[in-house]
Amino acid sequence: MKKKVLACLLAAAMVVSAAGCGKKEADNTIRVAIWDNNQLAGLEDIANEWGKENGYQVEFDVLGWDSYWTMLEAGVSGGEMPDVFWMHSNNALKYESSGILLPLNDYIDEAGLDMSNYFDGITELYTLDGVHYGMPKDHDTIAVVYNKAIFDKYDVDYPNDSWTWEDFADAAQEITDKGKADGVFGTYCNVGNNQDTWYNIVYSYGGEIINDEKTASGYDNEKTIEAMKFVADKILPACPTLDAMASTGGDTMFLSGLVGMICQGSWCVNNFYNADNSSDYAWAKLPYTDRNGNGKCEKEERCSIYNGLGWSIYSKTDKKDAAWSLISAFSSKEGQEKQSELGVTMAAYKGMSEPFVKAYSGMDISPFVDIEDEGTLVFRPYSKSTGTWESDVSDTLVEAWNNPDKMEEVLKKCAADMNATISEE
Amino acid sequence: MKRKMTSRQKSQAFWGIIFILPTILGLLVLNYYPIVQIVYQSFCKTGDFGLGNIFIGFENYARLISDKEMYRCLWNSARYALFSIPLVILIPLILAVLLNQKIKFRGGYRTIFFLPMVCAPAAVAMVWKWMYNPDYGLLNHMLHSKISWVTDPKLAMISVVIVGVWSALGSNMILFLGGLQDIPKDYYEAAEMDGCTGVKAFWNITVPLLSPMIFFVLQTNLIGALQLFDLPFMIMDQSSRAWPSVKTITYLFYEYAFEKSDRGYGAAIVIFTMFVIGILTILLQKSEKKWVHYE
Repeated sequence: MKKKVLACLLAAAMVVSAAGCGKKEADNTIRVAIWDNNQLAGLEDIANEWGKENGYQVEFDVLGWDSYWTMLEAGVSGGEMPDVFWMHSNNALKYESSGILLPLNDYIDEAGLDMSNYFDGITELYTLDGVHYGMPKDHDTIAVVYNKAIFDKYDVDYPNDSWTWEDFADAAQEITDKGKADGVFGTYCNVGNNQDTWYNIVYSYGGEIINDEKTASGYDNEKTIEAMKFVADKILPACPTLDAMASTGGDTMFLSGLVGMICQGSWCVNNFYNADNSSDYAWAKLPYTDRNGNGKCEKEERCSIYNGLGWSIYSKTDKKDAAWSLISAFSSKEGQEKQSELGVTMAAYKGMSEPFVKAYSGMDISPFVDIEDEGTLVFRPYSKSTGTWESDVSDTLVEAWNNPDKMEEVLKKCAADMNATISEE
Repeated sequence: MKRKMTSRQKSQAFWGIIFILPTILGLLVLNYYPIVQIVYQSFCKTGDFGLGNIFIGFENYARLISDKEMYRCLWNSARYALFSIPLVILIPLILAVLLNQKIKFRGGYRTIFFLPMVCAPAAVAMVWKWMYNPDYGLLNHMLHSKISWVTDPKLAMISVVIVGVWSALGSNMILFLGGLQDIPKDYYEAAEMDGCTGVKAFWNITVPLLSPMIFFVLQTNLIGALQLFDLPFMIMDQSSRAWPSVKTITYLFYEYAFEKSDRGYGAAIVIFTMFVIGILTILLQKSEKKWVHYE
């Protein structure tokens, strides 16, 4: 009797799973993969409008950052790929040179698009040997977000434009000292906070992560070492312990009122704007490094890393034209304007910062925009194998975070490993 | 002398094959084909996305045996097995014996111990991660302590083992309960006549008669332990100083194959792991005759 029941169950399970295999997507569905849930609602707005006009259904898959790239890697060798997806500087060169992305030159020529309307670094990133492999989606810069309630409570001055990184560290240290009893810390900077935190410090010190030709690591650069020693000696003591940072993320701690200020990218504004205590939060420009010691901020002394995503199309999709139509809707002037107005991210299209700032009424996010004119934008360091050397460097840096005295030694090791990786590209 | 199959036997064999055909096909396509591919890849320097393979012979394996990190990760996997296996056998065995007696709320207890099995492993890991949080976690709050459960290199492995054992208790207990119920009551009654009860009966009757089940649990759990991947991956942050002391060999494979897209070396790691597990399984099978009693 039991066996019969079991057999029936198994048979039923087989039928169900076979039915699952047979499920086919309707032919007017475009699959889009992204990794940032914060942007989903805004992008869906734009996509649905495009879909209505063109008779298509746009289906978004949102994955975490790591699983996104694992999914694409597996998709390329396994065949199951989204039609349209985001590209990022960490992996762009690798994908561009592997024939996975659809060349867009013909489409761009046909539509008569002027690529100089977009931020140069972003267009350049998604172009290899004159072939465009992606349409610029957005650009991002970094600013400091601080919790006014914490600064008031411990009687520390709010961050302002005249702050150097030293001032930033001192204020953070003051909060950490005064907040000890409450478990409140001045700032947060883990090994993984490269683009939003310590890359910016390195470049404002005049250092570099990779050289301009992308042929050698910058971790053994004197200025880079100086900047990272500053991070080790002044920033880290004001942060939660390494163990605490490995257990709880920076955003989580900040949003829980346990950290006074952190550096964050413009792609995250939404997260802070919609938070419970968002009225306590305010943004300030990234600090600078007074390299020449004249007490004033020169343009090259205030650096923000900038980066921009690209919209790419899978080269083997059978809906190439529709996919192009969709990404050109995202990247067109109107699409970019809408993306800014909805507060999704800053546009890749030049001259559209205003609507983005306006999208967040009641929160002044102009520091993200102001740094574009008053500071220097540095494109997020990359080469073909960014993914590999960046994760190697964070693994190695854990030791320096643990023993700040060893920073120089650890950086030399980072440089050696990174050079070995780059030489194999 | 070979006997010819009767037509009935033929028809039975035919239908037998038809019935297992879906499974055979599934195994061939989903298991054996990938294994062959991986063995081939382990001899290659793979290009981006596993395309453009260049045959390089045993180079990946040469690199493997001189890779200190590989030995560390293998040792981590072995340590996990050493710590967890005695616990996932002893504790469920004792629980099973206790819950095999007629006590009040027996069904309730059985359900409680089995519950972890019903939870998704990822959810289990996330909840434990928060309980282990040194500053805001439940454990430290209850113990009024400041223990770095998963960030202290000395403790992290133990903490992972605790979660692993906790999640495995239920299934092993059910297996042992099943085994216990197969032992005829007469043995205990006969032994009681001879004055053998309680703990003595447990060691002299229960354990030997349960040994096939113990063997099965030992074998499957050993293989599972050496393939450990999800728990440390979910519970710990890779920026933790304790990460190197918990990173398992399967994670090392994942790191090379998917994060660093060095599929060739990743394949070599996983083939090596399979080899190690294979050897241990053979040794275990050899030892079976010595201590496992089949009725």
